[in-house]
Amino acid sequence: MAEEALVAEDVRKRYVSRGAPPTDALRGVSLRIDKGERVGLLGRNGAGKTTFLRIVSTLLIPSSGSVRVFGRDAIADPDAVRSMLAVVPQEGKPFFHLTPREQVYSYLRARGFTRETARFRSEEALGQMGLMEIADRLSITLSGGQRQRTMVATVIATEAPLMFLDEPTIGMDPFARREVWASLRRLTAKGCTILLTTHYLDEAENLAQRLSVIERGKVLVEGTGESLKRRAGGTIRVSITGGEKLGPELESFGLLIPDGSALHVVTSPERVQEILGLAVRAGLPASVGPVTLEEAFLRVVGRSIDEEG
Amino acid sequence: MALRMGQGTIAFALTELRVQLHEGLAIATSMIVQVVLLVFVVILAPSLLPYALLGAVVYSVFQLGQRIQNEAAFIRIDHKLNELYHASSLSAEGYFLGLSLGVLLAYLPPVVILLLLIELLAPLTAVSALVLTAVVALVWLFTCALGYIISTLFRDMRAIWPYASLLTNFFGVLPPVFYPIGLLPGYWHPIALAIPSSAAVVLVEAAQGGLVHLSNLEIAYAATSLTVEALALFGFAVYWARVTARER
Ligand SMILES: Nc1ncnc2c1ncn2[C@@H]1O[C@H](COP(=O)(O)OP(=O)(O)O)[C@@H](O)[C@H]1O
Ligand SMILES: [Mg+2]
Repeated sequence: MAEEALVAEDVRKRYVSRGAPPTDALRGVSLRIDKGERVGLLGRNGAGKTTFLRIVSTLLIPSSGSVRVFGRDAIADPDAVRSMLAVVPQEGKPFFHLTPREQVYSYLRARGFTRETARFRSEEALGQMGLMEIADRLSITLSGGQRQRTMVATVIATEAPLMFLDEPTIGMDPFARREVWASLRRLTAKGCTILLTTHYLDEAENLAQRLSVIERGKVLVEGTGESLKRRAGGTIRVSITGGEKLGPELESFGLLIPDGSALHVVTSPERVQEILGLAVRAGLPASVGPVTLEEAFLRVVGRSIDEEG
Repeated sequence: MALRMGQGTIAFALTELRVQLHEGLAIATSMIVQVVLLVFVVILAPSLLPYALLGAVVYSVFQLGQRIQNEAAFIRIDHKLNELYHASSLSAEGYFLGLSLGVLLAYLPPVVILLLLIELLAPLTAVSALVLTAVVALVWLFTCALGYIISTLFRDMRAIWPYASLLTNFFGVLPPVFYPIGLLPGYWHPIALAIPSSAAVVLVEAAQGGLVHLSNLEIAYAATSLTVEALALFGFAVYWARVTARER
């Protein structure tokens, strides 16, 4: 059996803060991640992702539940696990008065790396994150995306056994995002374990081997992107312009999603031919494509919102 | 309660030093109040200069805590960098101490300039120089602790600002830090001798001889207050740093 990196069981968190009624941010979340896995945590704003990440990274005390990091109790003895962790906090920023090169290097030094290792690792991380050209500019002069790259570089340079990244690619351009993906892949290939949150569903699909969707503090679905799509009702989408006219006829083929002038039919591959036939006979243009994870997410979470009201 | 520090603490202190050194103007202007007061004293009451010089040193050291307060709050609230350090092998007390040492190193030059002024204008005896070193160290422990603890109590930068001005006035301006304790009515003396900043200054003045006339009991009282308050608050701050490394 694979070695467990993180095991969270029935984690609950109720915030009692001034300025808000008591909030049950987590209502029993369990998650297991094995060593070397990349797992994505998805969910709407306020679903509880950041709360969960802060609890498992020893930065927030849960109301109840258990968290084990490489077999050690992270709640009773946080100091026993901290050296194995590294986190990219949501909306963090590098020191304004350090350059990216100084930021990454000095963070590694504070974590106890030798000068040589810190220098080598920081140069490597800066290179991977495309920061070489701006590595000697003060972070205060960097753009939001460049600062975020610096934060990610700081953390990936640690090669910590277990990393938590809260919306690590927010504000990054498509090139930078792909650099992050490649770096995270390299890290898990070396044996690191990664849990990240993102609102970019293409990123989740590309990067995470396993997904966990949380909604209102509970795990709604867990599994691969493909399994999430199957739960949405099918893996193929047929889009028919002006398809509303065919509406009733199409209902038996799968899930119908109206979208502007088009009607999407989420269905299984075997039924595509029949649907296209209907469209052609009605003289309506149609196209076929895979269901995206975003559509599946909207469908699965949307259904839950409808059910719970 | 063993302190767990090491190379990481020093590295973090150097990081903070680097960050602070970019604020040369802040370091230079940290002297303004002290220098202005010294100029006033030279013009208005030159005989009080030895008091004001010692007061300026202690005041400058007390101000270090206010820098720590603002810096700790800023890197936590605005940058969230505390999360990077807390979820790492750097211990929570190493984080607090590293921050304190970094700020100390950055703001040391103004203190050294004041010490040179003392050497030029009102030189200390060897004994009072030793006493000055000891009390300054205690005031430093006290003020780092106070600044760090206060920085953890708020979620909003703006809520913290009023405390800097409140504490500066309560510890630096009101009690006899810049002026002789003899100017206060006698019934205020027990309070003035129990406040770490004024106790520190008065102890050096007593050691120097001729600047202040205190009974042995009063000296013992001031020395005990300063020592106990500084060590107790610092001990609590170390504990507090550990507790607040995780939010509730
Ligand atoms: N410090 C806090 N005090 C009170 N409520 C909070 C606090 N932090 C987060 N919450 C609430 O907890 C819920 C989950 O928040 P969060 O974990 O940040 O969500 P996500 O990261 O998924 O967007 C939200 O309803 C949010 O308003
Ligand atoms: Mg969040």
